[in-house]
Amino acid sequence: MFTQQLINGITVGGIYALIALGYTMVYGILKIVNFAHGDVFMIGSFLGLVFVQGLGMPIYVAFPLAAVATAIVGIFIERVAYRPIRMHGADALAVLIAALGVSIFLENFAQLVWGTETHSYVQQIQKKTYNFGGITLSNIQIGVIILCIALMLILYLVVNKTKIGVAMRATSQSIVSAQLMGINTEKIISLTFGVGSALACVAGVLVGTYYDAVYPLVGYSYGLKAFAAAILGGIGSIPGAMLGGFLIGIVETLGAGYISAGYKDAFAFGILILVLIFRPSGLLGKKHVDKV
Amino acid sequence: MRKTLKKVAALGLAVAMVAGVVGCGGSGSSADAVKIGLATPLTGASAQDGKAIQNGVNLAVKMKNEAGGINGKTVEVVAEDDKGDSSEAATVANKLAQDDSILAVIGHFNSSCTLAGAPIYNNAGVVEISPGSSSAAVTDAGDYTFRVITTDAVQGQYLADWCVNDLGYKNVAILYENDDYGLGLADVAEEETGKLGAKTVVKEAYEVGQTDFSTVLTKVAASDAEVLIIGGLYNETALIAKQMADNGLGDMQIMGVDAIYSGALIDLGGEAVDGIKLTAYFSENSDNAKSQEFVTAYQEEYGEVPGTYAAYAYDAALVVMDAIENAGEDRVAIRDYMSKIEGFEGSTGTATFDKNGDVIKAPLRMEIQDGKYTIVEK
Repeated sequence: MFTQQLINGITVGGIYALIALGYTMVYGILKIVNFAHGDVFMIGSFLGLVFVQGLGMPIYVAFPLAAVATAIVGIFIERVAYRPIRMHGADALAVLIAALGVSIFLENFAQLVWGTETHSYVQQIQKKTYNFGGITLSNIQIGVIILCIALMLILYLVVNKTKIGVAMRATSQSIVSAQLMGINTEKIISLTFGVGSALACVAGVLVGTYYDAVYPLVGYSYGLKAFAAAILGGIGSIPGAMLGGFLIGIVETLGAGYISAGYKDAFAFGILILVLIFRPSGLLGKKHVDKV
Repeated sequence: MRKTLKKVAALGLAVAMVAGVVGCGGSGSSADAVKIGLATPLTGASAQDGKAIQNGVNLAVKMKNEAGGINGKTVEVVAEDDKGDSSEAATVANKLAQDDSILAVIGHFNSSCTLAGAPIYNNAGVVEISPGSSSAAVTDAGDYTFRVITTDAVQGQYLADWCVNDLGYKNVAILYENDDYGLGLADVAEEETGKLGAKTVVKEAYEVGQTDFSTVLTKVAASDAEVLIIGGLYNETALIAKQMADNGLGDMQIMGVDAIYSGALIDLGGEAVDGIKLTAYFSENSDNAKSQEFVTAYQEEYGEVPGTYAAYAYDAALVVMDAIENAGEDRVAIRDYMSKIEGFEGSTGTATFDKNGDVIKAPLRMEIQDGKYTIVEK
């Protein structure tokens, strides 16, 4: 049972990690927590469903299209809801309240457009289950794990090895200095929201395909866990978000499996508190010293 | 100077707005209407059931009004959204209870909301009749608290008898949603199957809205369980049934109560839900004349087959309107009349209320066969 539970944990952990990247990237650059991110994940999942079911596209076409569409949604949210507030020089708290507002808006928008019911995801991939000595693994599960890890690797390479990555890192260190160096920081901020939202969309479509369900409030619990994962790994740190996602997924699954499933969320947040007591900046977060 | 102009304009606007509001208050409802409150989750996690309840009540009221209303007056529904949240339910309950023109309240849906509203309705002396709260705790909630759904204990007992005595299962796994409703049902199922000689080998909770059941199902697969009893609603049941195949549990029997009876279970679960056995009071295929009348009217009005909660809500509205018609437009008289109702024919069977306001009626046995709810013997 241990190996099976570990695989279950890695699968759900990969999803948390993908969503957590969006939280951590936005925080890294703007120092704000985008609380609407869980709902962007939900919108991405629904958009995937619309492209497959409504427009009859095959999943491998619908997948990238939904990701692009969700990226546009993410950029749009930043433009209309956060940028005007930032431009007035308001502090991060004002943006945080705006993010909560966007979250409520997106949830109600989805309920109005798609209804309150749970939708079945169109199965385009024939599900196959394999059995290795008592451990069952489905082809979709393998796909989820591989895709999560591949996307994280690509993101890591982009941020660390490309020119645009250098610009992103420079912006996250200091927006003003980056501007002085000739970086169009507003473009970088849009890009960050776009990439984060696209990753959330991938997570959303994966959840839809793997569990075969999507509903307007699905973003709440996934968003909360992913946020915890980002904090656990050290918010602002990209490898941290990945580590945090897998860790939360594995810990809650093993806790639920061996102790009690009723306390599943308690394990996820328990480990978060435990880590923060000993490492307040998270597992891979940088120590932050304010100079006076 | 310009500032003063602005102030004058603002003042003018404010006056106009206040006048507008007052105007609305005056013309919103006619004085000679019979008003019934409806408190149900119209948004939030239980919104789907809340909507079904609203549809059921509206249909009953519409049919009543088309047949001439109550003593020549039209019936009007005042709907409030409790969001499925107990603190919100208390606010809604206060609002409805303080409005003297509201004669009785249909609601709430979630057991936790019905319990939160109970002291408020009982203090104000207005009937609350729940279309969906089956928690055992509602029994003692007060003289003004009624329900058209039986307690979990009644269905749990019936289900246990079916599961152990008729189907011969000895090892039981129970999955339940983590709230008053699910826990109550899980406890009853464990206790009643235990009395009949079966053993509960796994008993685990899940959250409403959860999508990943691999952890708990891995636990079930590692146990000796022969049957899975679900203490929850249809959305999660459909997901559990689908994910069971992935965990090597494709052949295990699933059993549940009427909370999983909904077209959505089949839409969402597809082939995976075939073979699920459940107890229920409402069936669209029942040959009961009242059920048939309701199903036909509902399909005509909303273009879909009604689920359990729409049927319970419809019955709750029928009971309330019957009470108002016979007892008069008086909150206390309505309660006294309702507590004496015996053999009331509704879409969910023949109802009699006991001294605690709980309904007594016998459930049907159903199985999903080829994507349809079929009434079965065993």
